[in-house]
Amino acid sequence: MAGTTMDVNIVSAEHPIWSGTAKAVLVPAYAGGLGILPGHEPVLSVIQEGPLVVTEPDGRKHSFEVTDGFISFDSNKLTVVVEQGRSMQNIPIDETGIQ
Amino acid sequence: MASQLALKSRIASTGSLEKIFNAQEMIAASHIAQAREVALNAKPYTDAIFDAVQTLVSHSHIAHPIVRKEGDNPRVAVLALTADRGMAGAYTSSIIRETEDLLNRLEGAGKEPELFVYGRRGVSYYKYRNRPMAQTWEGDTEKPGVEVADAISRALLEAYMKSAEKGGVSELYIVYTEFINMVVQKVRVLRMLPVEIIKPEETATSGPDTQSTQNVMPLYSFEPSLDEVLDAVLPRYVRSRIHECLLEAAASEVACRQNAMHTATENARDLINDLTRKLNASRQASITQELTEIIGSADALNKKEE
Repeated sequence: MAGTTMDVNIVSAEHPIWSGTAKAVLVPAYAGGLGILPGHEPVLSVIQEGPLVVTEPDGRKHSFEVTDGFISFDSNKLTVVVEQGRSMQNIPIDETGIQ
Repeated sequence: MASQLALKSRIASTGSLEKIFNAQEMIAASHIAQAREVALNAKPYTDAIFDAVQTLVSHSHIAHPIVRKEGDNPRVAVLALTADRGMAGAYTSSIIRETEDLLNRLEGAGKEPELFVYGRRGVSYYKYRNRPMAQTWEGDTEKPGVEVADAISRALLEAYMKSAEKGGVSELYIVYTEFINMVVQKVRVLRMLPVEIIKPEETATSGPDTQSTQNVMPLYSFEPSLDEVLDAVLPRYVRSRIHECLLEAAASEVACRQNAMHTATENARDLINDLTRKLNASRQASITQELTEIIGSADALNKKEE
C-alpha cells in the first residue's frame, strides 16, 4: 500500500507556494471539491478557482486560495499547478497575492 | 593656456561619464541576481507543466490544434524580444538583424510574416522605418512578470487559433537571446507553434529490469475529460515556454548591459589617463616656456648693468 502520507507540491506561475507531506488534500475540482488521499489512482484533473485545504500528518490544516489550473497525482505525489495562489493564514496585500 | 582649460573640462566630463557607466554596471550586476531568482522561482511551475504534457503525450494521440494545424495558411507570426533601454551593447541590434533575416527567409519561402515586437527599442526601430507591426508590448523587459507573458501568449494564441480567413496565423516564431553564460549570449530563432512535443523514448528494454518497470507511466484518469485537460494544459504550456524565453532574454539583456558598461568604464578610464598625460605635458611645456622667458630677460638685464 502507498502508506498514509503523500508528497504535495503546490506551484504557481511566479513561485512555489507550498510543499511537504500530507494525509489528505481537498482541491476545488471542476465539479466541486475533490478529496485526495494517499494512494489515489493516478489522475490529471482540471481545477477551478476556490479554496484548497491540505491536512498534514499531525492534523494541522493549511488553507490556500487558488485560481484555476490543474492537478496531477501519481506515484503518491500530488502536484497542484495554478496561475496564482496564496496561503490563507497570512494574507498579504501585495503583488504575490490574488487581486 | 586655453588647451589646458579644455583638457581639464574634458577630463572632468569623462570622469562623470565614467561614474555613470560604473553605476550602470553595478545596477546590471545586481539585476542579474534578481533575474536568476525569478527564473529559479518559475522553474517548478514549468517543470510541473512539462511533466503533465509528457503524461498527456504518452496517453493519447493528441489532435489538438496547438500541436497540429490543418490547411496551408501562408501567414506566420514572428515575435522579436528586444530591450526597453539602450546601453546594452549589440543586444537589440543583433535581435533586429536576426529578425530581418528570418523575415526575408520566410518571405522567400512564400509566407506572409506578421511582426510582433516586445521592447521599446525594437518598437521604435520598426516605427521609424514604417514597418507595420501586428502588436507591440513595452516595459519590464529586464524583469518580465507573468502578466507580460500572459498578455503576449494570449495575443499570440488568439492569432494562432483564429481560422485563416479571419486573419489567423499558422506558425509562430520567436527571436530571442539565449543566455549561455555571463559572457556569451546567443540570438536564437525558435518555432514555438505548432508545439513540437518530443515523445519520451520508447523503452526498448531487454528483459525485465527494475529500472524500466519504475519508469512505466501509470494509467491516468482524466477529469472531466481528456479534451478539457488538454485545453487547460496546452495553452499553459505555451505560456510557460514564452515566459521562459522572456526570462532568458531578460537575463541576456542584463548580462549584455553589464558587459557593455564594463567596457565603457574601462574606455573612460583609458581616456582619462590619456587626457591627463596630455594635460601634464602641456602644463610642463608652458612652465618651461615661462622659465626660458624669465631667464632670458634676467640675462638681458644683467648684461645691461655690466
